[in-house]
Amino acid sequence: MSTTTAPSGCPFSGSLASAIDPDLATGELKPGASTDFPLMPEGEAVDMGHAPDGTPLLDPRIFNTMEFFRNPYPYYRIMRDHYPVFHDKLHNCYYVTRYDDITDCYFDDEGFNTIPKGASSGVLGNTQLELSGVEHRRRRNLYGQHLVGKSLNNRIPAIEQLAEEMIKDWDNMTPEQGVEDKDGTRTVALGKAFANEFPIRVVCQVLGFPDEAREDFYYWYNSMMSGLGGSETQQEGLEARQHLEDYVEGIVEERRKNPTFLYDQDGNSLGKDVISKLCETKLDGDYLSTEEITSNIALVVGGGGETTRGAILNMWYLLLQHPDQMAAVMEDEEKWDLAFHETLRHSTPIGGQPRHNTFDVELHGVHIPAGSLVNMVDFSANHDDRIFKDPETFDIFRDDLYSGKLLRSGYAKEGRYSHMAFGVGPHLCPGAWISHQEAVVGSKILSKHLKNPRIRVDLMPKDIDGESLAPIGLISVRELWLEYDLD
Amino acid sequence: MSTQEKTGEQAGDKQTVDIMKRDITVGRNGVPVAKAKTTGGGYRTYEIYQRMRPGETTSKMKPNRLISEEYLSDPYSVTELLRENYPCFRDWIGNSFWITQYNDVTSIFTDEANFETRSKLWFYGIEEYGRDLRGEIPVLYAQANALDNNARAIAERIADDLAASDAPNLAIDFAARYAMELLCYSWGIPEADQEAFVERYWRMQRGINWEPVAEQAGRDAINEMTAYFEPLLAERRANPGEEMVSAIAGLELEDGPATAADVTTSLLEGDHESLHGGLANMWFLLLTNPDQLDVIKDDGRLIKFAWFETLRHSTPVLTAKRFARHEVERFGVLIPEGGLLNCSAAGANRDPRIYENPDKFEVTRKDVCQREPRGMYRADGLPAGVAFGFGPPSKHPAVPDDRPRSLYAITRDLAVTATEVLLEKMPNIHLKPGAAPELRSLRIGEMHTCWDLPVEG
Repeated sequence: MSTTTAPSGCPFSGSLASAIDPDLATGELKPGASTDFPLMPEGEAVDMGHAPDGTPLLDPRIFNTMEFFRNPYPYYRIMRDHYPVFHDKLHNCYYVTRYDDITDCYFDDEGFNTIPKGASSGVLGNTQLELSGVEHRRRRNLYGQHLVGKSLNNRIPAIEQLAEEMIKDWDNMTPEQGVEDKDGTRTVALGKAFANEFPIRVVCQVLGFPDEAREDFYYWYNSMMSGLGGSETQQEGLEARQHLEDYVEGIVEERRKNPTFLYDQDGNSLGKDVISKLCETKLDGDYLSTEEITSNIALVVGGGGETTRGAILNMWYLLLQHPDQMAAVMEDEEKWDLAFHETLRHSTPIGGQPRHNTFDVELHGVHIPAGSLVNMVDFSANHDDRIFKDPETFDIFRDDLYSGKLLRSGYAKEGRYSHMAFGVGPHLCPGAWISHQEAVVGSKILSKHLKNPRIRVDLMPKDIDGESLAPIGLISVRELWLEYDLD
Repeated sequence: MSTQEKTGEQAGDKQTVDIMKRDITVGRNGVPVAKAKTTGGGYRTYEIYQRMRPGETTSKMKPNRLISEEYLSDPYSVTELLRENYPCFRDWIGNSFWITQYNDVTSIFTDEANFETRSKLWFYGIEEYGRDLRGEIPVLYAQANALDNNARAIAERIADDLAASDAPNLAIDFAARYAMELLCYSWGIPEADQEAFVERYWRMQRGINWEPVAEQAGRDAINEMTAYFEPLLAERRANPGEEMVSAIAGLELEDGPATAADVTTSLLEGDHESLHGGLANMWFLLLTNPDQLDVIKDDGRLIKFAWFETLRHSTPVLTAKRFARHEVERFGVLIPEGGLLNCSAAGANRDPRIYENPDKFEVTRKDVCQREPRGMYRADGLPAGVAFGFGPPSKHPAVPDDRPRSLYAITRDLAVTATEVLLEKMPNIHLKPGAAPELRSLRIGEMHTCWDLPVEG
């Protein structure tokens, strides 16, 4: 072979380093693992390069950045438009981002299984989140029945009363507690003084925890939530879970013997509280174990707080930035339902659900091997302009959003679609209805007391221009400073 | 899939459609679903214990460290922490399990019933491109002969160039160039094309990673490579030589003659990292441990032990990825079907349960295997360093008569030859005074090696 037997000349002459990496050729070893992603104006994506046909490229490191947390939607748009199934090789997972695809996958609980030993189960224990099929249906019916229908409607007066009490308490609260009066106006930290606590107190009541458990409740709730998914605070999460178990164990033993009841303000019985009901519930002919009851209490404690808190704060934050819509809601309190659903569509408190595909799947030309982690991005479904036009605009009067009673089947008729904030299908959030009630009932009561409410812009986090209010992004508003007139 | 497409289908119906020319079943919600051919059904109907106790947390390890700048240059302190605390570490950020003890890593490698490798084409998301023909016997012989016949001449030439250079960088000008020239000559790339070939080759190899710009560049490189091989393959078919492209052109295959895409696939699935990275790392270690350099200068027979010890102490390929074929419990952990295991060579090779004083680079070490690592560990009863990690273990622990010696042995000889030549040409070779070379990966998941090794002498 004449071309290979006598290697002679040097074909590379210094070019080898640049063939490997351009930085090597200059002798400069820059950190290769990360480039800093700049913070972009809301709605604009960082340019991460393009394919020859103009398709924008997507660098998976973006998912770990502050930029993505505050401004995720342009990146989801790139995924929806160009990578409806995006394979993220850095995080070893796939993202499904279009509304229709996510709906299909959520319904197909045979093809897209929930995940054993998933991110939440270490802290929460075995819950229906990780179950599928028949097992899931049986548990879900046991626990979920207490959060829907008549048993829920019966509690509305109690929820109203709780909201009234909490707002009344503002009169005696200090600036440290989030309430300050000055010149006939009152400034209130809506999170600290209301929204953080309100859903937890409702859950506490529904479960039937004694009032003295409330302080511990914050500890359980905050620690368990921040301890999910092997995070740095997982240790605290597991300790809180243990503490919850120790506490619940005593209550369960007591309620097994002496069930307790809920009453409305007139002293009429509303039936047993959830813990008492669970104590007498049988599965496969035997009573639920304390571990089973505790795991599901942990799930309700975790699920019932952050989401509703986020929904209330996001709703007020968005409405107050759209005074015409605020005025419409103030005029007709029936419109709080519209505001609630549009808020959950526009700024969803929970980003999505993970699934494992049971079989090899081909979706949009991407082959997903069985057992891959497939993230269903609810955030993105809710901003899919194949479904919702002009999705980045907050508009409670939009004509493509369904805002009636939430249905497990979802809703897609006559151009109206349900939002994806609670998911859809067999794993639709069982707390969806109670969350709706809390946010709407609570906001109706709030709106009666808050005269001429406005955001204390000076106290709120700002966007990168240093002036306008920060976008909500992936994490709900952490605190909302309001000012309103006392008389 | 759009709403319009869905409307024709009725819920509950199963139908078969032709997607990418494969039979795929459409599930009842219109999602195409295909039963995997190789994996079992992953539909789990039983409950497992899921809860963790406070003592079970992995709080000493922040998973971000595994994709940090620190890991790029010093993976060993990170993997040590894992190995000694969490030998099977659940990495939630990377959605994977890190296996860091030697016995665990090798038990995964040899367990093909439960764990599979995936091809580089899979990482590209490319299906059904070309065939990997590296294992065909004529190709193996062409490769072995080309490497054996060219190694010394190439080593001598580039060692001369290195000695004559104003600013000799052993890592690039010797180790990388040696590996690349050998690659060119073993594949029979004409000299005029070699520079462009190497550039494309690098782009292609680096694109398997997660970085989207590199991936795009890699896809382009694959296409360019195939376009380049098209005429070359035809020419070699008409006028065969003795190198690998000719060997591939002459193969008689069941599903038709080899195509240019097959050549590209075979080139892609191969690997230069062990030779390039291993050689650079060996010289990095020898030059920064001059006493060990003296050991091999005194006795050239020990060069191969320096090679084995290098692959143990500082292997260029830090992790090998394996995927669970089905749900399986290992190391007290439930690994779900499809779960990714990062088998850490960095962790395994420094495991004090296996090697005494594992952080020390010691050519005359008595507790490391004195045969080349073949992917079947403990070839002579002693544990070999975990290297050559990307592919599955050798199917031929004892190489059959009709095959050349294994690529592991060939690579060992190539490294030994290069080192012998370099010591002949530069007998007083030493680190340039003031230089502080280091090993580092250019990007997460890439080869851990020395990129700048200035020498004198």
